[in-house]
Amino acid sequence: MSEMTYIGKSVPKVDAREKVTGQVIYAAEINLPNMLYGKIVRCWEYSHARVTHLDLSEAAKVPGVVKVLGPGDVTQKRYNTGVLDLMVPEDMGKHLLGDIEDQRIFTDHVRHQGDAICGIIAESEEICELAARKVIAHYEALPVYLSAAESSQPGAFQFDERKPGNRTFQLPEQMFPNNAYGWGDVDVEMATADFVIEDTFYVPKVKQCQLEPHSYVAFFDLAGRLNCWTSTQMPKCVHNKLARLFELPISRVNLVSTTIGGGFGGRLGMVFEPETCAMAMAVPGHPVKVQSAREEDWVASESRHPGKYWLKMGFKNDGTPVAADAHFTSDAGAYFSHSSGVPFTTGSWLTGMYKYNAVRYKGDCYYTNQAPSGAFRGYGNPQTNFVLEQIVDQACLKLNIDPVEWRKRWHKQAGDDGWCIGVPYSSCSLDECLDRGAEAIGWKEKRAKYANQTGRMRRGIGVSVMNHTSGAMPMLLEHTTCTIKMNEDASAVITLACSDLGQGSHTVLKQIAAETLGMPMEEIHLHVNMDAAGFDIGSHASRTTYVGGGAVMKACEDVKRQLIERASTRLGIPVEELEIRDRHVVSKNKSQRPEGAEGNAADNLRNNVWGVGASMSIKEICSVGVYHFVNPMNGEANGVPGQIQGYASFFPSHNSPPFGACFAEVQIDIETGQVQVLELVMAHDIGRAINPKAVAGQLCGGSHQALGMALTEEIHYDAKGLCLTNSFTDYKMLGPVDMPKITTILVENPDPIAPYGLKSVGEAGPVNPVGATANAISNALGIMFTEAPITPEKILIAIRKQGIV
Amino acid sequence: MKNRMITLCVNGRNYRLDVMVNRTLLQALRDDLKLVDVKYGCGSGECGGCTVLVDGKDCINSCLTLAVEMEGRNITTIGGMTHEGELHPIQQAFIDEGAIQCGYCTPGMVMKTASILAKNPRPSEDEIRRGLEGNICRCTGYENIVRAVQTASQVMYDSQIQPAGGSR
Repeated sequence: MSEMTYIGKSVPKVDAREKVTGQVIYAAEINLPNMLYGKIVRCWEYSHARVTHLDLSEAAKVPGVVKVLGPGDVTQKRYNTGVLDLMVPEDMGKHLLGDIEDQRIFTDHVRHQGDAICGIIAESEEICELAARKVIAHYEALPVYLSAAESSQPGAFQFDERKPGNRTFQLPEQMFPNNAYGWGDVDVEMATADFVIEDTFYVPKVKQCQLEPHSYVAFFDLAGRLNCWTSTQMPKCVHNKLARLFELPISRVNLVSTTIGGGFGGRLGMVFEPETCAMAMAVPGHPVKVQSAREEDWVASESRHPGKYWLKMGFKNDGTPVAADAHFTSDAGAYFSHSSGVPFTTGSWLTGMYKYNAVRYKGDCYYTNQAPSGAFRGYGNPQTNFVLEQIVDQACLKLNIDPVEWRKRWHKQAGDDGWCIGVPYSSCSLDECLDRGAEAIGWKEKRAKYANQTGRMRRGIGVSVMNHTSGAMPMLLEHTTCTIKMNEDASAVITLACSDLGQGSHTVLKQIAAETLGMPMEEIHLHVNMDAAGFDIGSHASRTTYVGGGAVMKACEDVKRQLIERASTRLGIPVEELEIRDRHVVSKNKSQRPEGAEGNAADNLRNNVWGVGASMSIKEICSVGVYHFVNPMNGEANGVPGQIQGYASFFPSHNSPPFGACFAEVQIDIETGQVQVLELVMAHDIGRAINPKAVAGQLCGGSHQALGMALTEEIHYDAKGLCLTNSFTDYKMLGPVDMPKITTILVENPDPIAPYGLKSVGEAGPVNPVGATANAISNALGIMFTEAPITPEKILIAIRKQGIV
Repeated sequence: MKNRMITLCVNGRNYRLDVMVNRTLLQALRDDLKLVDVKYGCGSGECGGCTVLVDGKDCINSCLTLAVEMEGRNITTIGGMTHEGELHPIQQAFIDEGAIQCGYCTPGMVMKTASILAKNPRPSEDEIRRGLEGNICRCTGYENIVRAVQTASQVMYDSQIQPAGGSR
């Protein structure tokens, strides 16, 4: 590809200036005339209880309270906050998902601490608080289950009659015989193994911790339209879901996508939009603002799926991985939410990684009384990484093979079956990632140096690889619509529904548009508006640059086609002989516009200024398309009429998977059990980086979440199911001092299918630092840890057990 | 609850404000003065999203500070960093170094940076990282924020720009 103007350039984020001056508007900053405030009243004392008595009369008497709403005062329709039901065909959904709508706006069956029991609408937030304290609720305690192991016991309380045994999901028999995903005969292959490594791991419940708390404004206007301002990651899906929940046509719901103060999956689907909109529906003509407190995020919004992960792998003495047999039993938490998504994809990342002769993955999910599990950046991949990559390292130890070399020999390559069996990988640069990463961190030297350590401080170095996806095709719907309107001055407005979580998707989409249209980014505006924009599934599955970018590119090509057709008509030159260059449609015979050649096409033609061939400026085509006149004297038109709009309704044909290699170096104080990560090297197969600085930023930021999962982060509950870690003090994330030196390496070998050869990066960061850190700890101590996070307590206990000190 | 009349100087402008004595500075800024560039992140001083600069030097969590305690003090928020549309070198450094993703921690991070550099114009990387503790960012892994503080320090030092927020 020839030299490009915008692709591959680290242009500043398009919203950076607004953000750094404090001008940007998040949902909490929306203030409207006649606005009231809403409070979602939650049950804080129980994680599982029946509300036997709810008296709102005292709350209603508080001066300034406008309305109180109990479970019977709002729609009785059930819903699912996740969006998987909008992403699969109905017949497949019946098997894959089953009945998934199990949530109600206000409930009389509290299934987790923080479940919403009623709502208060008042003139101020302070009045809401006062009234909330006057709500009288009596409860009958129900048995509390904090893991799948507990809730799946015979005789356990049944959460939902449609989910016998409290099992929300298993791989459905109709699609996956024996409820398993994979290939080959695992039992036969396992029997041929020279040795087998097997263990059961635990992966923790970790939180997205986006900095912006969940805030909304909803307004049921007097024209009968429901308006909702929300920072959801998936505006179109939430638009659709709210319309269904409140039984309105989509055109009578105005969903306004506000700036997103972090998402990471935490805003994938609906969060507190149903409660907010229900309150607004109860007071037509008054906007209602709901600003949730940080504590509410911990107890009432979703997190990563925790669970028990069993993996058994058989190897030949030459290193061949003959079989992998896995079972992930995860905790859904109180509601179905993403029960079918994560336990499925967790297996995809496993099957997509190595060339096993046979593999069998089972994934299931059970209700518990914890906050619901849902989407979190990586979607099952960090869980698999912690387990698979540690087992592989144990095998390498036994085989006496360098872990980098083993991975290079056995990871899947281009042409091999991808994470979705039947869809081969279109490209793979993992070997280069491993080589360049190993060199950058000094893998061989350090591995040798740390082999036989003594003393208090022990160092270790570890590696981990990962695969992911660019969009969820073919398992889930992949579709983005884009319109590009050319203004009469040849500036452009892109209209679409893609959200920007902060990762910079709007920046790269504009880069793609500017490159494809051959015009300056400054003359392009990107307009996100749910009324005006067509469909987009939303920001998930690392898809926005890949699929959104594909849609933008196609819509730009549509604009270019129209420009060329107009010029062809006007100039009398066949379409195939024209091309766009330097903001002109020019004849291909003429390679360059001469210096100083101005004036309109007609003059140029008449005067033959440009010699052979001819040209028309984009500006002239766009202008005369709008300002179209016919000369009354001679009946001649000044150009071809019609404002130019490009359009694409884009369905990608692939998922061009990214790969990555991560190297971690740690130092462990064996007296305190403290782990310090000294260095991370992340080499990522990006295909082509549209904005290298933004790509590196995704890897660095993601690694923060990965290191937290590996070392410090976990949501804890007491025996009653009450959350013990509902603050940033109790839930420990790594701070600026704790973060290691990070080196990012972008391996750029353009993918043959992807727009501009790009691959995704959004979900790569939080995945393989998990496995690399665990492997580095294991390298330092000679102990494999099966439970994440690997805290100082766990390290000290293991060290004493092993007799290291 | 008692009310008290206070004078706050915010971003160089004086405001007379009748506030309840239990009102936090964050509430006074956001709800009463409509200076919504200061962010609520946790309400308990753990995330640093509501960080503002006081008298050009110290920074505080406005969610943990009572408005009445700030009587007569000079408060600077991120909205006060820009002069006649021109960005402060700290703001420019945050853009140039890619230190902004979702932007929600940015107002607090920029004010924390202003405080770090007001107290120590040439901090080491370690001093910067220690200085930033108390301000949470979940997007960047802090890497580019540290770079931004270093760049701002360099630019301000080279051009002898005075620290933000007026008198010291």
